[in-house]
Amino acid sequence: MNGTLVKNQLIFDFASGVLGPAKSLFASTYLQLNSNASKISSTFENMLGENLMDNENIHPKNLKYTDCINSANTKSTSNANDPITSFFGKLDNLNWKQVYKGFKEYTATIDDKDELKLIKMDPGVSVPLHSHGGKEYILVLEGSFCDEYGEYSKGDIQINDQKIKHTPIASRDTGCVCLSITEKDVIFFGKYGSVLNLFTFIKSFFKPK
Amino acid sequence: MCRIQKDRDEMAFSEVFDIFAPKVNAYFIQNGIKFERSEELTQEVLSTVWSKSDLYNSEKSALSTWIFTIARNKKIDFFRKNSKLDFKEEDIREFLYQNRQVDPIEESEAKKQIERINDELDEQQKIMIKMNFFENKSHKKIADELEIPLGTVKSRIRHILTKMQRFLR
Repeated sequence: MNGTLVKNQLIFDFASGVLGPAKSLFASTYLQLNSNASKISSTFENMLGENLMDNENIHPKNLKYTDCINSANTKSTSNANDPITSFFGKLDNLNWKQVYKGFKEYTATIDDKDELKLIKMDPGVSVPLHSHGGKEYILVLEGSFCDEYGEYSKGDIQINDQKIKHTPIASRDTGCVCLSITEKDVIFFGKYGSVLNLFTFIKSFFKPK
Repeated sequence: MCRIQKDRDEMAFSEVFDIFAPKVNAYFIQNGIKFERSEELTQEVLSTVWSKSDLYNSEKSALSTWIFTIARNKKIDFFRKNSKLDFKEEDIREFLYQNRQVDPIEESEAKKQIERINDELDEQQKIMIKMNFFENKSHKKIADELEIPLGTVKSRIRHILTKMQRFLR
């Protein structure tokens, strides 16, 4: 899988405004921490702005410019804060769940099909070799970790699919805190649910690379 | 735009309105929103342009980019409120998009990159990018409208994104 392509896709989808809440939080934090990603996003927004400039005209029927002046709302937006703090509050105050020694996680309550989690690893702690059910996105918020594919520091993302097997190890000096998204596989309910689930199960063996 | 920001010049605003209202309205319709609702959203967008004009910084982005982002945020809001999924009234996205600090990218730098990308892409490729990301049409819908097979749409979009990647650094 081409990592850069998937990263860009995430940035483009965020700029287009088609991501759900969990991935939007993930993407905007990524843009905030990673200046290169932020630049790509700005360029892409400019491209979409050009699309708007060159767009066809479909004239509104009953709308005059004076309506817009009169209906102007002066509601001010809340003061700027970084996305993670505004959503989670102070990370130290969260009710972290220990999975095993040196590895804690916190699953966010968010209405979305994707699961959003914070992961905290103490210095030098590793995750046993594993692969992934759905696609998983990892963004480093603090510290760093490394695995068979490289080193990931603050603002880097790693995107894993089913093919990837890896053994991440948190930096011996700093440990790491990461934000993760796991795409859930679709589960079918109802009359034909079990047949469809069996079908997705079998299909998962034949997924193209 | 300067006349709107500094002098609250209504005639200057009417010019911006005449250019952008039909384009913004078209954007909402292209995104699958019905005409009457698209008109209401267009009004909200242009009202924001008028009332929040002080937030626009001509050194950071083109006017069309700024108006696009306002329209996009209204679209997200619209689909959130009309979603079948049971999203809470409070959605983090509202905060995320409204408070997004745009990277102080030089407009000229973005322009150069876009020019290079535009040179590289042919007409159909540009149309596909627009359909995919501006009109947010599914690959299936793009295939139907351009009358080409779905697999071809997928591989072409992948090819275009790979091409663009070279210029986005």
